[in-house]
Amino acid sequence: MMNRQELYVCRTMAGILLLSFLIATYYTGFDPMAVLLHLGEAWTFLTEDFLPPRFQFTPVILESLAVTVALAISSASVAAVLAAGAAVLGSELLSPSKALAAAVRGTATFLRNIPTLVWAFILFSSLGVGTGVGFTALVITSFAFMTRTFIEVIDEIPAGVVESLTAVGASFWERIFQCVFPSCITGFISWYLYCLEVNIRSSTIVGMVGGGGIGMVLLSYLKAFKYAEASGIILMIAVIVILVDRLTDFLRKKAAE
Amino acid sequence: MQEPLLRFDDVSKVYRNGVQGLSHVSFSVEAGEFVAVIGPSGAGKSTLLRSINRLQDITSGRVLIRGEDISRESGRKLRAMRAGIGMIFQNYNLVYRLSVMQNVLHGRLGYMSSWRGMLGLYSEEDREKAAALLEEIQMGDFLNARAADLSGGQKQRVGIARAFMQEPELLLCDEPIASLDPSSAKIIMDMLSAMTKRRHMACLVNLHQIDAAKTYAGRIIGLRRGTVVFDGPPEALTDAAVETIYGVPASELAMKECVS
Amino acid sequence: MDSAQNAEAMTAPHGRQGGKIDIGVAGGGHFIAGFLIGAAALTAASLALLGIDWVRLAGRAGDIGLIFWRMAHFTLDHVDFTLLSFMDTFSIMVLATVYSLFLGLAFGLLAARNVAGPVIAPVVKAVFTFLRAVPTPVWVLLTLVCFGFGPVAGITGLSVHTVAFFTKSFAQAFEDVPEDTVDALRALGATRLQIIACGILPSAVTQLIAWTALRFEINFSECAILGMVGAGGIGFAISAAIQNYDYGEAGLAVFLVFLFAFCMERGFLYVKKIMK
Repeated sequence: MMNRQELYVCRTMAGILLLSFLIATYYTGFDPMAVLLHLGEAWTFLTEDFLPPRFQFTPVILESLAVTVALAISSASVAAVLAAGAAVLGSELLSPSKALAAAVRGTATFLRNIPTLVWAFILFSSLGVGTGVGFTALVITSFAFMTRTFIEVIDEIPAGVVESLTAVGASFWERIFQCVFPSCITGFISWYLYCLEVNIRSSTIVGMVGGGGIGMVLLSYLKAFKYAEASGIILMIAVIVILVDRLTDFLRKKAAE
Repeated sequence: MQEPLLRFDDVSKVYRNGVQGLSHVSFSVEAGEFVAVIGPSGAGKSTLLRSINRLQDITSGRVLIRGEDISRESGRKLRAMRAGIGMIFQNYNLVYRLSVMQNVLHGRLGYMSSWRGMLGLYSEEDREKAAALLEEIQMGDFLNARAADLSGGQKQRVGIARAFMQEPELLLCDEPIASLDPSSAKIIMDMLSAMTKRRHMACLVNLHQIDAAKTYAGRIIGLRRGTVVFDGPPEALTDAAVETIYGVPASELAMKECVS
Repeated sequence: MDSAQNAEAMTAPHGRQGGKIDIGVAGGGHFIAGFLIGAAALTAASLALLGIDWVRLAGRAGDIGLIFWRMAHFTLDHVDFTLLSFMDTFSIMVLATVYSLFLGLAFGLLAARNVAGPVIAPVVKAVFTFLRAVPTPVWVLLTLVCFGFGPVAGITGLSVHTVAFFTKSFAQAFEDVPEDTVDALRALGATRLQIIACGILPSAVTQLIAWTALRFEINFSECAILGMVGAGGIGFAISAAIQNYDYGEAGLAVFLVFLFAFCMERGFLYVKKIMK
């Protein structure tokens, strides 16, 4: 059963949630019944304009799809390598100094709590639009996310294992490469794959605002009221996302064996 | 006068929270000695062992290895001195995803160049030696097994092989049998005793079983609240001496151990 | 490093044949080595395809510092607009998450094999797998087309993905409830509704809370960007300010986003610690 403190926290959370809900409803005047009433119209609109989807496999579209996937993969990989280094410096267990560890974690927290697309916008304004900027924006949030999760993986190494290598006289780099990375590699891979799944979705969105790739194509169809073509693209995106999810699920299970 | 292998010179350790870990400890150990360190939990047994290879820093005094003060060394020199001191842990502390051989070869890391060690490029000689060591402790069938798949007693044997791979002059054992069942514990203690004797190696073992200390050690050091209150051969460890170390009569202690 | 050893493990025979002693794990590590090599190759191919002009990118990296410098000097000329936009974002996030929570509970039960049975559950799951595979902003673009500009489009668009997320994770939580619990209640003669209300929901409640908390965090960041693809909210304030070169205003808005996300993360961490 819950103790008093837990009960108190639960009540407070429920209270905050209820209050937020009331404020939000009042502020927006949102009425779910109105949505239900409009649902019929929306459905007609969807079925008439968007269906049947029109698939186009022009070189431009295929290349855009490839660019979106490539953005996701390359940004996740580059970020993973950087994050592995940052996690070593950010983990209290391994970091050469406590101040450095705190600085690394603070930076990661800051970078992570600003959405990818906001980074993209900030970067576009200084670097101009293009895949390079989309790539950089994706790297920033992936890096921050993996730094945090990699630190958690490192903290799960049983206490004393790294110390035992210190005791044999191993250097910092020997400890990292002979103990930390072998112990953490499956955990790292699992989070890398998760990041890849997230990035496939994010890279589509970054594309919409100027990062290149399929998102840009989709937005241009929507803006030109070519809804059947747009729904074709949406289905392609869905298929790719599902395929990637399936593949990462499979790889994650294999890696954990 | 030749310096002893290990000498504690008025060593004190105060933890940051104010707890006194060690208080004015002085003693020395010669090559070939098998010393058991006993005392109630919290008496400073681990602190004593861990200040020898600088897993913990001491507050004052000197810890001398063959006359050199390890508590003042750092960097490459400290690594080299650590390489000459083997250590065995209660929880084995192996890298569980790696193979038995890789774990044993870790004992050579302190002697290798950092980049060779990083990449795990061990010499053929070291590999032969590791295999021979594993043969000696009857682990010859497990060279390529994953360390995680071994039983507790087998893991501790790998821990022993890793320490002996260092060819140390001094071996530190921090509660080596506390996590093992009685029969594995006996095998491990027999191995430690025989292997150190054969190599004329000094060995410091933290134990909480007085019986094991009496059976295997040539000398016993009793710690209480960070102070050495007993130092002598096992025969001198009378019930009265046990009472000064543990603060309770020996008969009650036996009962306590039964209960726990 | 591991790959070096594993590459060796693949070529050298095990044991002591051939002179060299193999030190790797027998039959192990090949997958990870293969994975790392594969990932590296795919990454190289991806970078080649993208053909990013690194020199140009690096050459303008200094500009980023300048932008940050300007953003760090908050200006308050349009602070009322920023705050109202933030309220929009906050409201959309709360309403979308709360309504989706109830829908997600209902659909989660329908998608759980031990509740809805082996016929309905997979069908419901498949539908929501598709809905989940399409990114949130795409849904919002569609609802914008359907409902027009305003919070309704944001709330419904965000809800589609959120309901799908809840359905999947709640169904998983329900399926993790031990069969014994369900059987015990069934033996007592409980009806299906009673089994759900007294057995399955209470057993899964901590997981449900954890998933809901996580989704609040995700939805806030999703909601913060909706403005950038054409819906309202703080994202619109940020993109509008940046396009007007009003960096002080944009900086303030970005800081608001960060502050709220950070506080929410800390808050949930604190709650999680206590509930343990």
